[in-house]
Amino acid sequence: MTRFVRCILGISLLLVAEPLAWAVRVGLPAPDFTATDTYGKSHKLSEYKGNFVVLEWHNRDCPYTHKHYASGNMQKLQKEWTGKGVVWFTVISSAPGKQGYVTANDENAYVKQVGASPTAVLLDPKGDLGRLYDAKTTPQMFIINREGNLIYDGAIDSKPTSDQADIAKATNYVQAALAEATAGKSVATPVSRPYGCSVKYAGSWW
Amino acid sequence: MLTWGVDFGSIGAMGRVLHFSLRDGLPALVFLPLFLLVLHPSARTTAAALPPVPDSHGSVQLIAEDESIKPDRDSWVGMYFKLEPHWHIYWINPGDSGEPPRVEWDLPVGFRAGRLRWPYPARLNHPPLTDFGYEGEVLLLVPIQTPAQIGKTGKITLAADVKWLVCRDVCIPAEQHVALSLPVRAEVPRPDPRWHALFTEMRARCPKPAPAGWKATARSSGDQFLLSIETGKAEDGVAFFPLEPLQVEDAASKQVSSYRAGVRLTLQKSEQLVKPISVLKGVVVLSSGRAFLINAPVVQ
Repeated sequence: MTRFVRCILGISLLLVAEPLAWAVRVGLPAPDFTATDTYGKSHKLSEYKGNFVVLEWHNRDCPYTHKHYASGNMQKLQKEWTGKGVVWFTVISSAPGKQGYVTANDENAYVKQVGASPTAVLLDPKGDLGRLYDAKTTPQMFIINREGNLIYDGAIDSKPTSDQADIAKATNYVQAALAEATAGKSVATPVSRPYGCSVKYAGSWW
Repeated sequence: MLTWGVDFGSIGAMGRVLHFSLRDGLPALVFLPLFLLVLHPSARTTAAALPPVPDSHGSVQLIAEDESIKPDRDSWVGMYFKLEPHWHIYWINPGDSGEPPRVEWDLPVGFRAGRLRWPYPARLNHPPLTDFGYEGEVLLLVPIQTPAQIGKTGKITLAADVKWLVCRDVCIPAEQHVALSLPVRAEVPRPDPRWHALFTEMRARCPKPAPAGWKATARSSGDQFLLSIETGKAEDGVAFFPLEPLQVEDAASKQVSSYRAGVRLTLQKSEQLVKPISVLKGVVVLSSGRAFLINAPVVQ
């Protein structure tokens, strides 16, 4: 794609995205949304007021996502916190034809295979939910408190590599934020640079 | 003399010829097989297995600016990345996604490697994200401190383990061990003619400290930074790359306007900037291609 065409594409997408540019900020109410899961059930964020909600952006073939799944790290977090009443949504915003795009059945089989236990997996192939939250990488984690405010936006942990060996050495920001918030304390690290592969939104880019 | 087995210089020479051929239009298939690529061996459970990792779409080799090493005289080496078309690696601040290369050195006793020097990057736009990195070729320069006493073999080997992320639409973590043998000689080393142009070009692209006469300030204004850089003359076609993540919204369009004594840039603050910052650090690239480090104090 010529630089000119890329430039025009970039500007037009920016014009579409611009009104939402300030929609997501730690400390502010998290944007409400309605999305469909892999069993065809519809979920509206505001229905879950009163619960903590985690949004986990996911692409199973991204080496950074793979780091946290092959090690069991993500599954462990999901199990512990859904067990404590946290609503955990895994979100897949890969467009059809792009890495990480899955059908509902495929994803349900994968969830069983890897022993994941999100409350639900939300399929977002048009990228509406991803753009609403300005999700940039997989993984990227958002935590919403019981009042519906965003209290965490960023990386899963403090070591931005694809090496499983780095998990044990890292501070897990999601674990820390949930432990603090559920105990009524303020979140010490409310933002961090999310690390991972870019979310594979629709629209070719090179 | 540089030996075949340990030194990548010879392969590099071949590679350089190949690269010129690639520019002349030889298909990538000629380019590929001559670069043996070490695949990243990550432990995987069968339950969450990735498909087999393809090759890393490029290579890295350790090269030296000079043909020999003189005791007690520092010199420059570099990590020379060559990438297949459309594949890229990342700058020290990768931007919205990605990860910059990392180097772990294995050096002879008394030798020390300084920090990597990064030529200014290209903007890699893939809406709604923007990253900073390199396509084609890049050399990350490294200063090597050489001790006064070097062993008696008349030769030393510098080695390193390099890990990097290479991406196109998908990303591949790559890892390669590199090594370079150089003769130890008493005379002042001669520049290696194979790499002289590359070191010169890439060194020129590394940012220098801002000249003493420059004044840079960033005014924090609502959701924007108004960065003003006074260079002494009107500046057109300026690019700015923030050095730290979570300060500037990389994908947002920037307004750049030159004025009589310099240039003003309007930068969108990152949504993740929750605490005010006192300094905005970045690399400014002028239309001449010269790059400078800016540390702009932030005023309200």
